Amino acid sequence: MVESVAEIPQKKIKDYRSEVKPTWCPGCGDFGVLSAIQRAFAAKNLEPKDIVIVSGIGCSGRLPEFVNAYGIHVVHGRALPTAAGVKLANPDLTVIAVGGDGDGFAIGGGHVPHAVRRNVDITYIVMDNQVYGLTKGQPSPTTPTGMAALKRSTSMPKMAPYEGVLENQLNMLAMVLVYGGGFVSRTFSSQATQMSEIIGRAIDHNGFSFVQAMSPCPTFYNTYDPWKEAFVDLPEDWDSADRIKAIDKVMYEERDGVFHSGIFYKTDDLPSYLTKMDSVYEKAYGGESVSSVDALLDQYA
Amino acid sequence: MAKVDLTIRIAGENGEGVLTVGDVLAEALARLGLHIYTFKNLPAEIKGGASMVQVRVGDTLVRSPGDAIDVLMVWNQENYDAYIGEVRPGGVVIYDPGECEADAGHDAQQVGIPLQAITKEVIKVMKSKNVLAFGVLTACIGIPFEIGRRMVEESRWGRRKEFLESNINALQHAYDHIKEQGIDIGVRVPVNAPDSSAQLIMTGNDALCMGALAAGCRFYSGYPITPASDVMETLAKAMPRVGGVLLQTEDEIAAITSCVGASFAGKKVLTATAGPGLSLMVEGIGLATMEELPVVIVDVQRGGPSTGLPTKTEQSDLQLALYGCHGEAPRIVVAPTNAEDCFYTTVKAFNLAEKFQVPVILLSDQHLSQRAQGIPRPDMSNLEVVERKRPSESDSKDPAEFNRYAMTEDYISAMSIPGRDPQHYVATGLEHNEHAHIAYTPEAHLMMTEKRLMKVESAAKEPGFVDRYGSDDAQVGLIGWGSSEGPILEAMDRALAKGHRVAALIFKMLAPLPEAEARAFIDSVSVASVVELNASGQFASYLQSRLCIPLRRFNKYTGLPFKAIDIEEYIEGVINNG
Repeated sequence: MVESVAEIPQKKIKDYRSEVKPTWCPGCGDFGVLSAIQRAFAAKNLEPKDIVIVSGIGCSGRLPEFVNAYGIHVVHGRALPTAAGVKLANPDLTVIAVGGDGDGFAIGGGHVPHAVRRNVDITYIVMDNQVYGLTKGQPSPTTPTGMAALKRSTSMPKMAPYEGVLENQLNMLAMVLVYGGGFVSRTFSSQATQMSEIIGRAIDHNGFSFVQAMSPCPTFYNTYDPWKEAFVDLPEDWDSADRIKAIDKVMYEERDGVFHSGIFYKTDDLPSYLTKMDSVYEKAYGGESVSSVDALLDQYA
Repeated sequence: MAKVDLTIRIAGENGEGVLTVGDVLAEALARLGLHIYTFKNLPAEIKGGASMVQVRVGDTLVRSPGDAIDVLMVWNQENYDAYIGEVRPGGVVIYDPGECEADAGHDAQQVGIPLQAITKEVIKVMKSKNVLAFGVLTACIGIPFEIGRRMVEESRWGRRKEFLESNINALQHAYDHIKEQGIDIGVRVPVNAPDSSAQLIMTGNDALCMGALAAGCRFYSGYPITPASDVMETLAKAMPRVGGVLLQTEDEIAAITSCVGASFAGKKVLTATAGPGLSLMVEGIGLATMEELPVVIVDVQRGGPSTGLPTKTEQSDLQLALYGCHGEAPRIVVAPTNAEDCFYTTVKAFNLAEKFQVPVILLSDQHLSQRAQGIPRPDMSNLEVVERKRPSESDSKDPAEFNRYAMTEDYISAMSIPGRDPQHYVATGLEHNEHAHIAYTPEAHLMMTEKRLMKVESAAKEPGFVDRYGSDDAQVGLIGWGSSEGPILEAMDRALAKGHRVAALIFKMLAPLPEAEARAFIDSVSVASVVELNASGQFASYLQSRLCIPLRRFNKYTGLPFKAIDIEEYIEGVINNG
């Protein structure tokens, strides 16, 4: 008799496509990010019921709708604390938070350092197009300083009609590195294969992992041409274990007019929140069965 | 009639340890089988400022802080001056003559005991000043030394073995001093009181935490805020012991949205805050309403607006709890009435959240949260615990056929859980259809708005959230909610004892409004008046808007809880003056 082993069929990208067609403009970089995420899921053969994609508000916040998996689309700027809640409620889930540069680093910016230092095992993919797309073209925290009215922009002149953008541009990779992030990377939506590989490695990382996914907005701030020129891979011999070098690298990119793609920094030496919780439980109930609530009442008797 | 009804207040500089004296005294008296009602009034600073704790003790149920002070112990001049006026005529004042000067103009028996000097020169351990003060009080109210000694040994003072000897020494000195000076204040507390129902001694916040865990809560996220921090601190210890998770977040917005995430992933979740935090949470509460996710939010109310009175009490967040959010965002609002009820109403809050898949706001307040009460041990085996509706075995496993927001007869739909149910869906704060897909059509918004409203409205039929007391044909009908129950009922009982016809209706559920009970009560009384601790009469306005019946109001807004006498005098005024 032939022993039959129930094989889990290898999933394909299309298995992660939902019945909802993306609502993004033609040419939006987010299509590339969506497909890279789906490709990463397929490579890991994840069950849709075991995935939760969390998003805030913005064009990129619509992404969960387009994936055949669980998702939760919340209020503006709060994807990170929501994602932490999901993961802590069920550590077996693969939890991905997605959003844009405005959602993550303007309204939600206060959560980033805490998501990093809390180190809950979630992956945060920021689709950075350096502009507010859904509200039609206002400057975002990553819009280059002095950036003036764009040829195709409709709203930017209304917001910065005289001198262009007055505020300085945020350097999100430098921020996450300095906050103490244990997995810090950047990719470009036009480099689909590399992006899905990096997202896959981010998911594998035990702790908070950060992916800056450069994703141009052809409608309000079309950066395809300059970014294609500016993007270079990190050197082949790049030492991703050196945090100071990584900070140095991202600090000089603006001066040098380049964007590096790859994993700037990765360490396995930072135990995740859930790993630390194991020792909390060990001390709280001695690694045996949990207390009954009735037993807890004894302290008031 | 009660043989013992004594109000004892201990006051000193904040940070000196007077609160510990009050806590230990209250606990010790409750362990003797006496009824206690404690009241704390603190400054918002860690060190400095007048700080006091009051213990009312009786051999029958005591339901309010006490009208006047029978025994006042003060450690310094500031507190002497602040509280001497609240001592009843003929009452007792114990003061430290080394620290303050007594004013002979008061009708009180004033006893000088140099607490500071005795501690410094005789006991020689400054930490034992608390125990000396405790001993003076227990000796004065007639508790034998041996029982006093056992109280100290069993208290938090007994746990610090290195101080036990000097603490017992201090206690002995207190008893010796009272005896040598021939001090007799004429009060004897019975040491073998008959009532032994007080099996647990808990504050409102303690009971609330245990209620949450008993209801199955296994996820808490919150941000420190007075007077709700006790909840987080208690659960920080207890939650991991039952296998749960406690997260201190970076702000209240993260607290509520972490709860939303954990609820989506299947946990029963809690966050606790005070007014400023609730203000920050309203957007997240609307999200939970929209995505139909169960979340319990505790608001331990304090005086507002803005930073307001962080350590004082008020029932002034009601309108924020009822209405706080953009759009039509129905939620359930409940309010426990005493420390024991904090346990049961919290369990019910979780049950309501799970059953109706909505946010439930539980309104406690500073006074209730910090007051200790002896309560019977809850019987966990008889506790009703409700779980949310999930896809059934017979339902299709295909996500494409699953309607997360299916319109059902009771407007409640099955909720699938990530990792457990194959029927995955995307919960969204955007308007959606039954299938959870984004939908902006008039039909979708109409259907889902009604679903969310009708579901919550039907919760008004849940039993056990409105209680009527007193005369059937009352001349004066008092309407109250939450922690004002005790003073209202005590005042009502006193008026009934004088032959007046008085009734009370106490609401533990404020939204949805149990309208039928409210209407029947108001129709049955000659004068209906809403008694609450806020300036504008928030519950009265809400009742009027729902019932279209004019109501009288009795409001107090000093940052302090009601005394029974406040309400008793109000009843007299209505009866005498119409």
